[in-house]
Amino acid sequence: MTLTINVTVNGKSVSADAEPSTSLLEFLRDVLNYKGTKLCCNTGECGACTVLFNGKPVNSCVVPAADAVGAQVVTVEGLADGEKLHPVQQAFIDTGAVQCGYCTPGFIISVKALLDRTKRPTPAEIEEAVSGNICRCTGYAKIVDAIALAAERMEGSTLGIASGGRS
Amino acid sequence: MAKAEHSVLGTSIARQGGVERVTGAGIYGIDLDLPNAVRGGILRSQHAHAKIVSIDTSQAKALPGVYAVVTAADAPDVKYGRTTIDRYMLAKNKVRYMGDPVAAVAAESQAVVKQALKKIKVVYEPLPVVLDPEETMKASAPTLHEEVPLPANLPKDANVKNVCSYTGVHAGDPEKAMAEADVVVEEVYETKMIHPQYLEPRIAAARQEPDGRITLWANAQAPFGVRTDVARLLKVPLNKVRVLSTELGGGFGGKASGITSGAAIEPICALLAVKARRPVMIVLDKAEETISTTIRSGAKMYIKTGVKKDGTIVARTGKVVYDAGAYSGFGAMAGARCTQMLGGWYLTPNVHIDGYVVYTNKQVCGPVRGPGGPQAAFAVESHMDSIAAKLGIDPVEFRLKNVPKSGDRIVGVPKLRDISLGETVRIAAEKIGWGKTKLGKNQGIGIATGSWIESSGPGGGAMVKVNEDGSATVHIGKIDMGTAPRFGIPMIVAEELGIPVNDVMVVNVDTDASPWDAGTVGSRSIIVSGTATRLAAIDARNQIFKLAASQLEASPDDLEIKDKQIRVKGTPAKSVPLATVATAAHNVIGEVVGHGYCDSKLMAAEEKAHGNSPPFTAHACIVEVDPDTGNVKILKYVAVHDVGFVIHPVAVEGQVEGAAAMSIGQALCEQVVFDTNGRTMNPSFVDYLMPTINMMPRIETTLVHGYPGAGPYGAKGAGEIGCVPPMAAIANAICNATGVRIRTLPLSPENVLRALRAAKR
Repeated sequence: MTLTINVTVNGKSVSADAEPSTSLLEFLRDVLNYKGTKLCCNTGECGACTVLFNGKPVNSCVVPAADAVGAQVVTVEGLADGEKLHPVQQAFIDTGAVQCGYCTPGFIISVKALLDRTKRPTPAEIEEAVSGNICRCTGYAKIVDAIALAAERMEGSTLGIASGGRS
Repeated sequence: MAKAEHSVLGTSIARQGGVERVTGAGIYGIDLDLPNAVRGGILRSQHAHAKIVSIDTSQAKALPGVYAVVTAADAPDVKYGRTTIDRYMLAKNKVRYMGDPVAAVAAESQAVVKQALKKIKVVYEPLPVVLDPEETMKASAPTLHEEVPLPANLPKDANVKNVCSYTGVHAGDPEKAMAEADVVVEEVYETKMIHPQYLEPRIAAARQEPDGRITLWANAQAPFGVRTDVARLLKVPLNKVRVLSTELGGGFGGKASGITSGAAIEPICALLAVKARRPVMIVLDKAEETISTTIRSGAKMYIKTGVKKDGTIVARTGKVVYDAGAYSGFGAMAGARCTQMLGGWYLTPNVHIDGYVVYTNKQVCGPVRGPGGPQAAFAVESHMDSIAAKLGIDPVEFRLKNVPKSGDRIVGVPKLRDISLGETVRIAAEKIGWGKTKLGKNQGIGIATGSWIESSGPGGGAMVKVNEDGSATVHIGKIDMGTAPRFGIPMIVAEELGIPVNDVMVVNVDTDASPWDAGTVGSRSIIVSGTATRLAAIDARNQIFKLAASQLEASPDDLEIKDKQIRVKGTPAKSVPLATVATAAHNVIGEVVGHGYCDSKLMAAEEKAHGNSPPFTAHACIVEVDPDTGNVKILKYVAVHDVGFVIHPVAVEGQVEGAAAMSIGQALCEQVVFDTNGRTMNPSFVDYLMPTINMMPRIETTLVHGYPGAGPYGAKGAGEIGCVPPMAAIANAICNATGVRIRTLPLSPENVLRALRAAKR
């Protein structure tokens, strides 16, 4: 038995069949070929597969694809405006927050969700927003810089958090 | 800031490959989509130690959608191993850990692979399991490798079994010196197994080409090592195996199979592809990774030090029992490094340390980030504080008292040239506010130091091709995992060729085209590939000057290159674009191809003559210990590192901070836990705790300048040393806060609470 999933991904409505056991992550990666959403723990612990689901960040590995029927899903592929990167994406590059880069799409989605709901996040809100995303490369220092820089650029404000880090 | 003499070195350019990573391009191994590929999977032992009585694959083979089922019987009868040849690619006769590969399947989908694996019937005859490395050495323990003799260099009176390798570290007369010491401190420290837990699962994909050659894709840190293993295990010539490295989503030594022989999936994948006559791709499940792939071993370390009343160290003796796991893997090298480092990096004239690397029925030791070093440093640097406490000397003062001077030696290391150890200690002490910060209730302050040898090891080459538009294409043997190949390496080419860094492209490793390399390990990317790339770029520049000289009517020696223009020095009007010269090369030598090598023998001779300048570090922290829960919170953390000349400051800080985070994880929460049968109790990320942003302090990194190392422009490696001090720094701070010395990791709430309660009794 297969299900037909009608869903809007990055603003485009799509329809495809999937097994009932298919996770949203598998549906995005293997059926729709959105490879930017990364597979890692498959238990909803690491955040590498974070996508926006009706505007809220979720671990797509533990969401059944069937639940996404009629939903608005945004993946990391949906953030840039043509060649122009989203400010969060640009900030991750500019602060050196991208080492291996595997956790990066998940972080970027979590941070976008944060900055969509809070223009001037406090350090505690930043910490909370990405506490479900594991990075094994950076020790999080440069990621905090990236978030602060993205918030500054999006709001033109200063958060009073160490930013930049570039010499 | 760039130094005046450099145009790009010393700045923090945007990492190459960054745009692909932030936009979610499918660049990683796991994103591979080979046409007509089927899926592969591995049946792993459910016993930690057993004889294989029989394997029946008939039902699995009969399943619709199955393309191939393989066991050891389908592979050439060839064993492998880096230091001890002790392993088959698929277990034969015996399994030695729960996770040992026994059979493999290629099928049309992952679902069919799973069904087929379940239908393989293996009959085992269980054997006694031994998990504790000290138990395994006893005469009563089962023999794990019947065909592996004990190491030839074992001490005569050792009376041990299941020893995979032995390292003895000796200097002076420790027995006499210990007898003459004013104070002797003796302790035992222990660390547990941790998994590197890179986020991208390991993959391998293989395809047999129409001409019989095998092409392999792997997210491998050592593609040439993979090629060696695959060719040897499948009995095909090296030039019939081509390994293409994909982009890596983290590695930390865990993806360095091929140099480690640990749970190598690549030869199995190649065998499946040959038998299935279809391309095959294997993706490991994260829980499967945790139980089966290579890890950072646990070590038990006996350490004893004699000191004079004034704080001068006179002797160190000790013993290391290092867990190799079921096969030799990287155990011999990691255990040897741990043994050498238990001697410390302070002036210690008399040393005797025995290091035993032993087999157990656990997964295999790999070259995980700073193999052997963090374990030794946990013991050495905790022990330094214990000695200081016994002497009543301040821990910082005690360390400074024993810092070696230029021309001194630390045991197992070449003669020293520049020693930044004291400076890193002083800076770390100042940054953390040593002796000045007013600590609150339940708070403590701690410091620990480290060193790392990265200048010795295999050499490597580089090729710099100058294209007719003046851009450059670079071939090196090392891969990028957020490390030098797309940070420092393109900067070096840009610097030497006078071209913008964005005009430099570093090609990912293709064993058919790239120069051989031992692998992206040992903090050696900038040392090996950086040195080779610099020389290759200089070679290319010299060829360009030779080609340009006649056109500019000048001697090659009078030319310089900047902004893609070749100019006569002092006469800027006389210039020719690099593109023109590179295009004209087509009619002369075809193409400017610069070659360069990192010659390890030359480097060793240089060190012998002038001394070695290893990287040193000191980390310091302030923690708060909750006496009711045992929870440890790090309030402030400083990391001070001498990494020689800094090519890319943000990249180096990133390495330091990431390495520190990994060891902070090992200090506070990480551990692979086994039951008595050798089954991993916490294979998934639900139970294997790693640092998230909530438990991490902001690591405040300081890079110390002025001590040139063995790399290009005086750079040193930076990838591993940050792992060395954190565990002891935290343990020392906990001891400072509570008065309780904890000698076994992790310093988890449960273990801290237990120690606090034990101390009260």
